[in-house]
Amino acid sequence: MRFLPHTEHDRKSMLDTIGMRDMRDLFADIPSEFHLPEGSLQLPDALCEADIVRKFTKAAERNRHAGNTRCFLGGGTYHHFVPAVVDYVISRGEFLTAYTPYQPEIAQGTLQTLFEFQTMVARLLNMEVANASMYDAATAVAEAALMSKRITRKSRTVIAASVNPRYREVTRNYLSQQQGETVEVSCNGFTTDISALIDAIDDQTACVIVQYPDFYGSLYDLSPLREACDANKCLMVVAFSDASAFGLIEPPGSFGADIVCGSGQALGIPMGFGGPHIGLFACRQKHVRQMPGRLCGMTQDSDDKRGFVLTLSTREQHIRREKATSNICSNQGLMCTANACYMTLMGDAGLKQIARRSAAALQQLISALPTHVLAAAGTHYNETVLSFADTNTRDGFLNTARERDIFAGIPLEHIERGSDANHLLVATTEMIGEQDVADYLAALEATR
Amino acid sequence: MSAHTYSAASGLQHEEPLLFEHAHEAATSISLPGIDADTTHLKDFERRNEAKIPGLSEPEAVRHFVRLSQWNHGIETGFYPLGSCTMKYNPRVNEQVVRLPGLAHAHPDQPQDSLQGLLALLHELQTWLGEISGLPHVTLQPAAGAHGELAGMMMIRAYHDARGDVKRRKVLVPDSAHGTNPASAVLAGLHTVEIKSAANGRIDLAALKANLDDETAALMLTNPNTTGMFESDIREICELVHQAGGLVYGDGANLNALVGIARPGDMGIDCLHINVHKTFSTPHGGGGPGAGPVAVNDLLAPFLPVPRIEKHEDNYQIVHTGEQSIGAVFGSIGQTGVLLRATAYIAAFGRNHLHKIAEDAVLNANYVLARLKEAYHVPFPGLCKHECLLTDAYQERHGVKTLDIAKRLIDLGMHPMTVYFPLIVHGAMLIEPTETEAKETLDSFCDAMLEIAAQCETGDTSELHDAPRRPIRRRMDETQAARSPVLVWPQD
Amino acid sequence: MSIPADLKYTQEHEWVRIEDDVATCGISDHAQEALGDIVFVELPEIGRVVAAGEAYAVVESVKAVSDVYASVAGEVIEINEALESEPEKVNTDPYGGGWIAKIKMSGDTVELLDEAAYTTFLEE
Repeated sequence: MRFLPHTEHDRKSMLDTIGMRDMRDLFADIPSEFHLPEGSLQLPDALCEADIVRKFTKAAERNRHAGNTRCFLGGGTYHHFVPAVVDYVISRGEFLTAYTPYQPEIAQGTLQTLFEFQTMVARLLNMEVANASMYDAATAVAEAALMSKRITRKSRTVIAASVNPRYREVTRNYLSQQQGETVEVSCNGFTTDISALIDAIDDQTACVIVQYPDFYGSLYDLSPLREACDANKCLMVVAFSDASAFGLIEPPGSFGADIVCGSGQALGIPMGFGGPHIGLFACRQKHVRQMPGRLCGMTQDSDDKRGFVLTLSTREQHIRREKATSNICSNQGLMCTANACYMTLMGDAGLKQIARRSAAALQQLISALPTHVLAAAGTHYNETVLSFADTNTRDGFLNTARERDIFAGIPLEHIERGSDANHLLVATTEMIGEQDVADYLAALEATR
Repeated sequence: MSAHTYSAASGLQHEEPLLFEHAHEAATSISLPGIDADTTHLKDFERRNEAKIPGLSEPEAVRHFVRLSQWNHGIETGFYPLGSCTMKYNPRVNEQVVRLPGLAHAHPDQPQDSLQGLLALLHELQTWLGEISGLPHVTLQPAAGAHGELAGMMMIRAYHDARGDVKRRKVLVPDSAHGTNPASAVLAGLHTVEIKSAANGRIDLAALKANLDDETAALMLTNPNTTGMFESDIREICELVHQAGGLVYGDGANLNALVGIARPGDMGIDCLHINVHKTFSTPHGGGGPGAGPVAVNDLLAPFLPVPRIEKHEDNYQIVHTGEQSIGAVFGSIGQTGVLLRATAYIAAFGRNHLHKIAEDAVLNANYVLARLKEAYHVPFPGLCKHECLLTDAYQERHGVKTLDIAKRLIDLGMHPMTVYFPLIVHGAMLIEPTETEAKETLDSFCDAMLEIAAQCETGDTSELHDAPRRPIRRRMDETQAARSPVLVWPQD
Repeated sequence: MSIPADLKYTQEHEWVRIEDDVATCGISDHAQEALGDIVFVELPEIGRVVAAGEAYAVVESVKAVSDVYASVAGEVIEINEALESEPEKVNTDPYGGGWIAKIKMSGDTVELLDEAAYTTFLEE
């Protein structure tokens, strides 16, 4: 077996050292009734490397993907460009095959990268501190809700229905294990209803959770929310799903958000059928001891040279156990490296260009829509809802578009269960060109 | 062989500033696709100040991150015997296949008929994990081991609640357990009671019995446990918990000792998470991403999270609802890229070779134990499983502690073992060699450990207290880091 | 190891100095040494009413966390805010500058040991 270095001679001599005769003696402490007869598991026989490649290639070729279609799909996962350097850097064995940097002397590469990542995330979101990642946006929002309850010692959570339904579901499922009420505030069409949210906040509210841009891609004024939160001593939590927005758009930190969390997938991570992505999580310095997840901090070594370590670990499960701020242990480490490398390649200027192009493509599409299709009202970043007369018209368009190698949108009811079946959630990125928009519009015309 | 022949590399080590310290203005020259039109419609929403993300040109960026990478030790660089972490070789072919465009660039909300190849691979993994664990129903959704624990505890709670047994909120956790166990139980709205281990490092049946009652939701059990030993009373343990109306949760962190040899489901475990980044060799990535699929028996199957992948004849479907399901615990179907690597790893061993993983892993741990058991104190003598536990009791007499031994190993070119865990053993050193290490590597490690032990006996221990001397940084001031945390680089 | 004779101690390694009905509390020299370098002290809120034996503060070192239990029942009337910026005072001056809180006593106490009893307790 190619991953196992021992020869039979090695095994024999090692057994001799141990004082055993047979490999099976190594399992003498497992009651014999549990021993599986060798080779009895219902699994296929071993594949050689060439056959593994063949198996996966065959499976991969059965799928359509963003490489051989024009992808107008979003809903939390976006087809942005990933520079080759990002994949090269995260493929380096020293990053890829290292463990959590618990021995800082021989993990300074991971640690300095994490420090740079934390800094860049905080700057992008205009927040004071960011942690070294959560699993994904949905679990980051859930953890933000739990953190708010710890900080405020209040039990009620208010969440806007314009937060991605998947984030809401995970948050609801986490919160339902604890005491306290979770209130969802419905939308105003396809935009966030700020005044309804403000009305829903009371003095028992630990936090109010909104998304910005919201699930429908809509932008709105966050400032009234800050005032309402202050009046009720409740925390303002802002989620996001496409971090590329903040290369151009004023980030939630500028509106005084207490916790900002969402997906970093847009920053150099391929869609990969839903993972691994990364949850970004930022908060104010004064709340850092209630933060979930790992943190990397700056210090110096015994020769007074600057270096980095994992710090404030007493918040975490391996020390505080049942009183930990979270149970999270393994996080999305390598994806932090991907995000850091991506942001370094882009810089402010590149990030701004990506956001502009992502938004420009949507604007070009919306401004030329035929009259039988209606785009959601309001200002949108790179995502919106298109509405059709009925399900048949919509699905007819989806099929025509697909024949033309276009994934034209996500039927809204697939993510937002129970919504009418005539809507399409449509997203654009810098990967959409003029011709792609023209072809999309032509497909719409063809199914008028 | 002397220790000096396997010491750490001494090639060029470059200092590298932080990105934010690179002297010149942002120099990105990235060329982008797409529509370069103005976005005046967003004018009212634009950033007033730049984020100050310091862009570097591509050659500079590559050099920055490559230099940083060279300050790391990885499993590809050298031996990494971290107990409880299963740092085994990560096959490169797995990296290659997950980057196939049909897998890497698929959107989770594409039409399902355009994803059949991917769904087939994931469904295959679901089936295989069920077969390997002896617990046939599997969710791939949890993003890591601890996340799997949370999903498992939520299912167990839902199971009791569905039976109207709503006072079962107590979870028994051995004092040797991973810290994630109690933290996960609490996150699922349960409370924990710690069970003291017996003098032999195993579950104390009397203590277990004394704590079982009609409020017990579950026992969380790691088997083999964190001292490296198999809980041979496993059948009785499970029966006791079941008789009291509770369920048994298995922490699968140590599955590497059992894979292909014996199945937790056959022993009476009801629910088990599987760390595919341990047992099935997906890379640890400097802290993640992992994946923590959970396998359950028929009792818990109705409560599995959604979405799930089901096979109907030759068609694979993503199922989003389940009447009694605990719902979603993650924003997508799972960490697909991680899961696919695990599929490839299992496929490489298959029915005929899978048991060799556990065999060689256990052989290696016992070999290390046999070579070191005279020089180091063994708190629980006897056969170990895939990891062996030593302490610094003999060395402490000479003023040398576990931490010194660990740091000295760095100078000798190896990653230290897990130190000071499990918490119940003073000065613990938990060594897990894994099956992918050659005898030559194990011998180098044992020689190094013996040399350290011998050095303690001579009384000249300065080399141990000063260690590490060779890496780019020496012992870090963790106190300063925690007293005045600096977590981001200040703005200019 | 220092164990001043004018203080009382608890089996959880807290010390208390009772003057009239006000108890000044902290952790003992033994406790700070066992914990190592203290990096953070979570202080109680002023006005909080605590029962004897209740956890009312937390001291943290780099790799350990320890609850601090109230040796007396009563209301927290003063806290040592200096510890917010200089938690190391708990290490360097546990019975002086490292005090944690002053509690206005309402009667109840946990079992308090004098110097001799605490010394014996530590030896056991």
